[in-house]
Amino acid sequence: MKNMLYKELKLAAAGISYFFLASALFTMIPGYPILMSGGFLTLGLFYSFQSMREKHDIEYSLLLPVSKADIVKGKYAFVLLLEGIGFVLCAILTVVRMTFLKASPVYLENALMGANLVYLGELLLIFGLFNAIFVRGFFKTGYYIGKPFLCYGIPLLLLIGLAEAAHHIPGLGLLNAFGTDEIEIQLIALACGVLLFVLLTFVGIRQSVKSFEKVDL
Amino acid sequence: MSVCEVKNLRKEYPSFTLDDASFNLEAGTITGFIGRNGAGKTTTIKSMLGYVHPTAGDISYFGMPFAGNENIIKQRIGYSTGMVNYYPKHKLREIAGVTKRFFDSWDDESYRRYLKTFELNEEKTPSELSDGMKVKFNLLLALSHRAELLILDEPTSGLDPFSRDELTDLFVYLKNQGVAVFFSTHVTSDIEKCADRILYIRHGKIVLGDTAEGFRAKLGQPGETLEETMLRLEKEARNQ
Repeated sequence: MKNMLYKELKLAAAGISYFFLASALFTMIPGYPILMSGGFLTLGLFYSFQSMREKHDIEYSLLLPVSKADIVKGKYAFVLLLEGIGFVLCAILTVVRMTFLKASPVYLENALMGANLVYLGELLLIFGLFNAIFVRGFFKTGYYIGKPFLCYGIPLLLLIGLAEAAHHIPGLGLLNAFGTDEIEIQLIALACGVLLFVLLTFVGIRQSVKSFEKVDL
Repeated sequence: MSVCEVKNLRKEYPSFTLDDASFNLEAGTITGFIGRNGAGKTTTIKSMLGYVHPTAGDISYFGMPFAGNENIIKQRIGYSTGMVNYYPKHKLREIAGVTKRFFDSWDDESYRRYLKTFELNEEKTPSELSDGMKVKFNLLLALSHRAELLILDEPTSGLDPFSRDELTDLFVYLKNQGVAVFFSTHVTSDIEKCADRILYIRHGKIVLGDTAEGFRAKLGQPGETLEETMLRLEKEARNQ
């Protein structure tokens, strides 16, 4: 798996995917739907799948002493690595907002979602959806990327819309807690995000391996 | 010694069926796999390597069934689909550098030697190579991990006569080193030049697999070249 990941990083990935990691900075923008950071981070990953197809990466992988399942797992390893880096960057910036910038007026007077642990949980849900819908959809053919991205894009936008609207609903304002306020709720939301991410990713990998195994290349 | 055994291989598509293909590949021999475009050569090769799923049949390499031993077997074989079209803008050095990590028996010395023999420049990218050089680069990767069996799908297609001549000479050299070479082609002169055995496929069915002499004795007519034999057989089949 180490070699597959090395191959992804060295040959298959699009350089722009790394640039898109900078989308984590959206976490700091006041008055902006910060969950879009997840959308842009996964858009960066989408470009790598596009690049991989243009570079005939699957054809090359077939020459190697690896199984089709290894090819799928290699791609997931790359996706998880970049999602991991993106998440850590977002988490660092979220902690900055939750502590040092807790009382900053630009964030206090923000009508949109703030950066807290609920945000991080929702970010993980976005990554889980990407892994379960887009990546899994790609491995149904090993070629097409448009339809899987559309299928992922719709729930992504719905999720962002829902997350932005939720804290305006009476009784759900605590989802937008500042700093460490309502920390139990924040921790529960983060735990739910972790759980859903793990579940969706696990299902995505399993289904992708099955689908790709059936594809005649 | 048999390095590959294919038994009753069948692959059904809506408009084409590879029907009950059976043959053996021996170490130190060159087997030419001939048939016109669409006869089933690529389907056979892809089925042999698990890239398409055979409807039925058994495939084994070095006495091991392919299913369940895929990674071990692929360490010992080299496969090429002809020209390199992957990573067109990456340097050959980078591609080889990644490839070597996957093969336990990768030999840097052989890699350097074949690089020199094939006059390949590591600093070039596949997009800068001619068609013939692309085929050679694919072969270089296969030979550098000491492949005992080379499976090559149309390696000479699109090459000029000089490059084809160089390639068939290389096949003979590899055969003398004990390597089994299995290559598909529709260029009969390549087969005539180097193949010890000929496997002829038509409409998804193996018509005959025999030594080059046996093939001529069974299907050829006196004074006929292989090309003339093939043309006659194909015309007869069409008229039937």
